[in-house]
Amino acid sequence: MIRSILRRLLELVPTILVIVLASFALVRLAPGSPFSSEKEIPPEVRRQLDAKYGFDKPLPVQFLRYLGNLARGDLGLSTKYPQRTVNEIIAAGFPVTLTLAAVALIWSLLVGITAGIIGAVRQNTVWDHAAMAAALVGISIPSFVLGPLLVLVVSLRWHLLPPAGWGDWRHVILPGLTLGTIYAASIARLTRGGMLEVVRSDFIRTARAKGLSERLVIWRHMLKGGLLPVVSYLGPAIASMLTGSVVVEKIFNVPGIGPYFVDAAFNRDYFLVMGIVLLYAFFLLVMNLVVDITYSLLDPRIESS
Amino acid sequence: MNVLAASDPRANLCRGSVAAGLAAIWLLVGCGPQESRYFGTTSPRHGPDEIWINNAGEPEWLDPSKCSDGNGGEIIANTFAGLVQPHPATLEPLPDIATRWDVAPDGRTYTFHLRPSEWSDGRPLTAHDFVYSFRRLVDPKTASKYATNGFIFKGGAAVGRGEAAPESLGVRALDDLTLEVELEDPLPYFLSFLTFYSFMPIPRHLLEDLEARGIDPELWTRPEHIVCNGPYRMTEWVFRQRMVFEKNPRYWDAEHVGLERVRVAMVESYTTALNMYAAGEFDWPGSNTSLPAEFMDYLSGFADFHRDPYLAAYFYWINTEAEPLDDPLVRRALSLAIDREALVKYIARGGQIPSADLVPDGLAGYRGLGLPVFDPEEARRLLAEAGYADGSEVPPITLIYNTSEGHKQVAEAIQQMWNKELGISVELENQEWKVFLSNAELMNFQICRMGWTGDYADPFTFLELLTSDCGNNHSNWSNPEYDRLLQEANRQTDPAARLARLREAEALALAEQPLIPLYIYTRSQLIKPYVRGIDGNHQDRHPWKYLSIDESFDPAAPPAADARAVALPAEAP
Repeated sequence: MIRSILRRLLELVPTILVIVLASFALVRLAPGSPFSSEKEIPPEVRRQLDAKYGFDKPLPVQFLRYLGNLARGDLGLSTKYPQRTVNEIIAAGFPVTLTLAAVALIWSLLVGITAGIIGAVRQNTVWDHAAMAAALVGISIPSFVLGPLLVLVVSLRWHLLPPAGWGDWRHVILPGLTLGTIYAASIARLTRGGMLEVVRSDFIRTARAKGLSERLVIWRHMLKGGLLPVVSYLGPAIASMLTGSVVVEKIFNVPGIGPYFVDAAFNRDYFLVMGIVLLYAFFLLVMNLVVDITYSLLDPRIESS
Repeated sequence: MNVLAASDPRANLCRGSVAAGLAAIWLLVGCGPQESRYFGTTSPRHGPDEIWINNAGEPEWLDPSKCSDGNGGEIIANTFAGLVQPHPATLEPLPDIATRWDVAPDGRTYTFHLRPSEWSDGRPLTAHDFVYSFRRLVDPKTASKYATNGFIFKGGAAVGRGEAAPESLGVRALDDLTLEVELEDPLPYFLSFLTFYSFMPIPRHLLEDLEARGIDPELWTRPEHIVCNGPYRMTEWVFRQRMVFEKNPRYWDAEHVGLERVRVAMVESYTTALNMYAAGEFDWPGSNTSLPAEFMDYLSGFADFHRDPYLAAYFYWINTEAEPLDDPLVRRALSLAIDREALVKYIARGGQIPSADLVPDGLAGYRGLGLPVFDPEEARRLLAEAGYADGSEVPPITLIYNTSEGHKQVAEAIQQMWNKELGISVELENQEWKVFLSNAELMNFQICRMGWTGDYADPFTFLELLTSDCGNNHSNWSNPEYDRLLQEANRQTDPAARLARLREAEALALAEQPLIPLYIYTRSQLIKPYVRGIDGNHQDRHPWKYLSIDESFDPAAPPAADARAVALPAEAP
């Protein structure tokens, strides 16, 4: 097990290298420069700026230099925020994005699994239909509609929570709900589906036959079956909560790293773009690994080969 | 399992669709019953000594020499004090660190007499700090994007091109409190230009101290180091969240600074900023938050909505080298076929002033050309004279603009006007900002949209755009006669004669139409009715030191007509 994890980790290195090369090539192929602006910049000033960031060197030299810095954990300087390094920017923003994703995750699991269990246990009752209808609505409403609606009702009409910003717990709730709802809806449907799949299997019948209470049957046996598809969904879900926070972070002005995905590319902030791409690539690869491992732990039929 | 394959497509959504979604929601709100005369809350939530405002984004630099963006400029203007400061309504230069000044008869040499004052760390502020700052602005080693602002000083351009030492710049400290400045030309707008943030003093002692301690002196504006001399000083800066400013007790006029604390947020999305304003989180969305055209009709119905003329022009550059636009007749025909009144009324919707002139009428005493803003008959005649009996014979033309809903709507309206009046079909192409800039710089276009904000209240700030060696001239048009007229104008010491030359030059240029002016901007903003001290002016400059909170404000009472007027201290600074 440990050996296979180590091997998988080693396999990450070439993948990351390819990603670095590809993102470096793509960001440099884009027309324009970090220093282009509406107003003319004197050529001498332009030369100084290029020299400061090393953009005056040939591209292969720049690439090798970047790799060298990367090996030392240095992601370079931002051109848009010239007083900050990319490391500083990510260190300031990534914990914020993680916090937001964590709130969204907890919300989606709480609501999703509860609704899924209700749906499965009370199959084809009003409860089931209500839970699944709610899930359908949750899946269908995009965050850029749900977010402003929540702001409108909760902040502007009821004055309960601030409409945007970051600082204390009150700022986390609305963006967390906005980001998590769509996943809660998927989790509800997956949980219900998974539980219904095992509800007629032999081991459930056996469990009932040996006289277990219905409560124990649901919690110990059915739920385990129901959660398998949820676990395999969680990997991509967490990944897309992190990447999908772009929109939510914009709406609620959350100072996470989501908006850099778009803005850094627009600003041709070369090192920031690459830093963000690398961070996410690394995160996604590790998430893949974690999901595979969890899966093999939950279901012994899957070998971690 | 492959996580990448399942990645969320919503991550790819960019601002466009977000804005569309938000707009839909706002329309819902807009359709609701109008309960109040004001947009959102009407009582101060942060006490009588504090104001919360927005600054629409992280500043690039807080270093006066290096700053080139409005987000930084707003902070610098309120944390530093220069030789002169703008009057909050008229913008005319008032004494600040300089108490008085003498001008030599040739209009080229200014001698400023400084008041004794201190930096926020208690060190004395001297004329040497200004000398250091002005040299640093122009010195190519500083790599300032606004280095050209310092080219007005004698020898500035040579220093900026690296051909002369910064010490050769025409600025000298005669003693600790006397500064002599020599200009290249006797510019009548020099003193008002001097209120601009590029000309604030720099605490040389701090930069040298940091260098001695092995700290990169470029980081001197970080909150742990910064030293300033203006009405406010920064006490907190949380990246992309907030900046907090407190009254600087060492500012020479601290007793007339109104509020104890100014809290600045960095909210880029205008809809989010509007939400925060409505909820009372912002007392004033600030100079850098623009209100979008689609909400204008709705918002303008509220009493806390204010609109002022703004010193900026919206126009289309024409690449005068490529057929068919190499013919001035075609260019003039295109200009005359645009119904600018309709454009402003139905598309831009911000009360902008339709204008076929580049220089706004009345700017610093300038009499505008008053060119016709729409004349389809004449347009058709000019097109025929150019040899095109019908617009469909005109070779294909493409118009580029940077991706934005507003620019798109304007371009589409003009496309339709040209088609209707002249029969010319023009293709539109939107380009992402940096791609657009790169194409504009390389003259890789036929027509491109642009805007220009005046740096100072003088026609020259606009007319300079069309000079042959101006890097911002994106027309390929150059005319030695035009260059000569402008040069001659700036050497004039008689203001009236100068304006006459400038007017002659503008008429000459627009007769050849290297660009098509469309309208003069306005600035619309929301200000909570209990906020005092934000006067209207055409550069949208509102120094924080005049701000105050009126706790006795009564939302039920009719809005006072003079609520915005700023009262200057009696013994005027």
